[in-house]
Amino acid sequence: MSESVDRAVNAMKEQIDAPIASYFSSCVHCGICADACLFYTETGDPQYTPIHKLDLMKRVWEREYTFAGRIKKWLGLSRNITENDLTKWETLVYDSCTLCGRCSLYCPVGNDIVTMVRKMREAMAASGHAPEGLQQASKRAIEIGSPMGVTLKTLEAQIKHAEKEAGMEVPLDKQGVDYLMLLSSAEIAQFNEIIPAVTRIFHEAGVSWTLSSEAFEGTNSGIQIGSSDIAAELIQRIVDGAQKLKVKYVISPECGHAYTALRWEGPNLIGKPYPFEVVHIIELLDQLRTQGKLKLEGKDETRQTFHDPCQMVRRGGVMEQPRNLMNMVATDFVEMTEHSLMGWCCGGGGGVSANERAEPLRRKVFSKKREQLEEIGVERIVTACSNCRNMLEEGLEDNNMDEIEVVGLSEWLAEYLVTSSPRAAGDDS
Amino acid sequence: MKQDETLAEHLQGQGISRRGFLKFCAATASMLALSPGMAGAIADALGKARRPSVIWLSFQECTGCTESLTRSHNPSVESLILSAISLDYHHTLQAASGTAAEEAREQAMHDNKGEYLLVVDGSIPTGAGGGYSTIAGISNLQMLEETAKDAAAIISVGTCAAFGGIPYANPNPTGARSVMDLIHDKPIVNVPGCPPIPIVITGVLSHYLTFGSLPELDNLNRPLSFFGDTIHDRCYRRPFYDQGKFAKTFDDEGARNGWCLYELGCKGPTTHNACATAKWNNGVSFPIESGHGCIGCSEPNFWDAGSFYQAISSSPEDLSRAATGAIIAGAAAGAGVGLYNKYKQSRAKDKHYTVTTKDMEDS
Repeated sequence: MSESVDRAVNAMKEQIDAPIASYFSSCVHCGICADACLFYTETGDPQYTPIHKLDLMKRVWEREYTFAGRIKKWLGLSRNITENDLTKWETLVYDSCTLCGRCSLYCPVGNDIVTMVRKMREAMAASGHAPEGLQQASKRAIEIGSPMGVTLKTLEAQIKHAEKEAGMEVPLDKQGVDYLMLLSSAEIAQFNEIIPAVTRIFHEAGVSWTLSSEAFEGTNSGIQIGSSDIAAELIQRIVDGAQKLKVKYVISPECGHAYTALRWEGPNLIGKPYPFEVVHIIELLDQLRTQGKLKLEGKDETRQTFHDPCQMVRRGGVMEQPRNLMNMVATDFVEMTEHSLMGWCCGGGGGVSANERAEPLRRKVFSKKREQLEEIGVERIVTACSNCRNMLEEGLEDNNMDEIEVVGLSEWLAEYLVTSSPRAAGDDS
Repeated sequence: MKQDETLAEHLQGQGISRRGFLKFCAATASMLALSPGMAGAIADALGKARRPSVIWLSFQECTGCTESLTRSHNPSVESLILSAISLDYHHTLQAASGTAAEEAREQAMHDNKGEYLLVVDGSIPTGAGGGYSTIAGISNLQMLEETAKDAAAIISVGTCAAFGGIPYANPNPTGARSVMDLIHDKPIVNVPGCPPIPIVITGVLSHYLTFGSLPELDNLNRPLSFFGDTIHDRCYRRPFYDQGKFAKTFDDEGARNGWCLYELGCKGPTTHNACATAKWNNGVSFPIESGHGCIGCSEPNFWDAGSFYQAISSSPEDLSRAATGAIIAGAAAGAGVGLYNKYKQSRAKDKHYTVTTKDMEDS
């Protein structure tokens, strides 16, 4: 056994706990998960059946942890895992799985397939079988502080720009406030309208908040590549930054995996509870709505829909909130046929968008989203994840549908904000 | 009610409102698991129905089934049905006696040849040439065979008629048999229960009157709409079973908290009937709701299936020593394998390879 195979098998043995063992033993091989996965429905290729993506881990489980498997191993009847196996399964667990969790929802025996894929990625990462794009992103995240290589300098420049646009100060490193706002790389580099948008919303709603120069990045490449070690380090940075500023809440940005990492996996990764609460920006905006602090005016008659980011909606439960918010101003809000819990992924989550090798496949499976959009014929898609936003823009362009506008929910709402003070001159720049 | 009068005409004469009639039809439709729209069809059919002749034979029985039908909660339901049919012969209910009674039966058989419904309650003694029970000098067996010959269908009401019931229990001195043991060439519907639920009896009759056919049956000839689920499937204590919360005695805290009665011998999981949904006494309750487990009265071999208070699957204490030993050994082996697997996992954890950015340098 080569060293990398050894590492992969050891990591799988580490990851196979009681839930995983019970998932494998309760799988009834019904294949229903195939119909839940857009990589299967859009290609018809059976190798993309979600549970098949875990076949390698299943082999390790059988051989190491079941009675029959051990007898087979003892008799020399079980197949050894080879470097070739790892190479083959690398593309299955990284290129054709967005960790969207639709398969887990479909599974009739309740197997959490997405958790299993996440765990199998641990073995892949440990044995050096992670895609180059994700490796580079993780490296940048640890060394530079952001998977896209966004530095504090970039953020500071964007803050200056935002201050000019919003006509007010964007708080940075302010101690003792209630909320610490995180951003995702994509929001700092591409969709920077978000900064003036939340600045204005929080100002009008009287929310005391700040950005941090040490913990500004919410994206967690460790989750995507499947390395708890890297994920934990990135989470620890946020915890340290939040503790330094003594905030009560940390706001997860409009980024799916940032939310999953911070809200659901974080405390387990670092092995201790947070001294603060985590809230998604959309959850917070909806809280402000119920408290009457989010005052919007004007109605938008555009025919529009909401694209559900998997990690935030299906895996995170923030389902009604974005709809409540949209209905505040949208008069022609239509749902896609399968939405909310049953929504279809944009195709680029879970690190697939950072993986260049996966691009042709990812663009192909966008056909699911295209079909869904063609069916309802909208002029605008609102979403709440910067990665989904990127993928939607790209997919629409590919399919000559770029007359459809794609916007982030927070900044879209900010356009309807009732402002108490007139905005500074030159805000149209 | 005159023979050629329709039910609707008859009811009007009785002062029963159209609304009351429709309520009965809707209840019947829902109990038969028909779509709500069928209530109208039932009303229509029953309203126009001419009274089919029914001959009711009572053999080795306790009259509990007839009591159930006539003394039940909602007189309108049963009176409606009793109005809809021409109950031409029924020991307990008919006014005639002696020769006149037997003549009524023969008259009905003759006038409605091949069209009358035969309802049987009680099992049929076959020992001693049928001598254990006779009516007007005719043995039960002979009367059944004679009457069944020209019947359109037979409804076996109660566990005795359906499966033999109490008379059939060991040692069965009278050689009691069920209707379906003896008659093989007629459609038979079993409505078991000791006694059966009244609405099940009326439901089967309504179905026949409405559609001219018998309802869909299971492998034991029981109407699926009433016997499709077990008591356990529909029991309001089911959540406690699922959580593993069981009453251990009839007066412990579990019993007071309404926990599952499975360990006290409840036969709900193996008993098919509609008690948990239709309930008894005008929908007041059913045995489990009164704190006693189901005794499985509507299942075959009701009396010979063991104590009412013995749990369906026995605990290890009741097994033989060898079996107990095997269970202990199995549990120990299971625990051992579990511990070994745990050890193996922790050893893998000790060998954990920490992923650092160095691993990513080469790419």
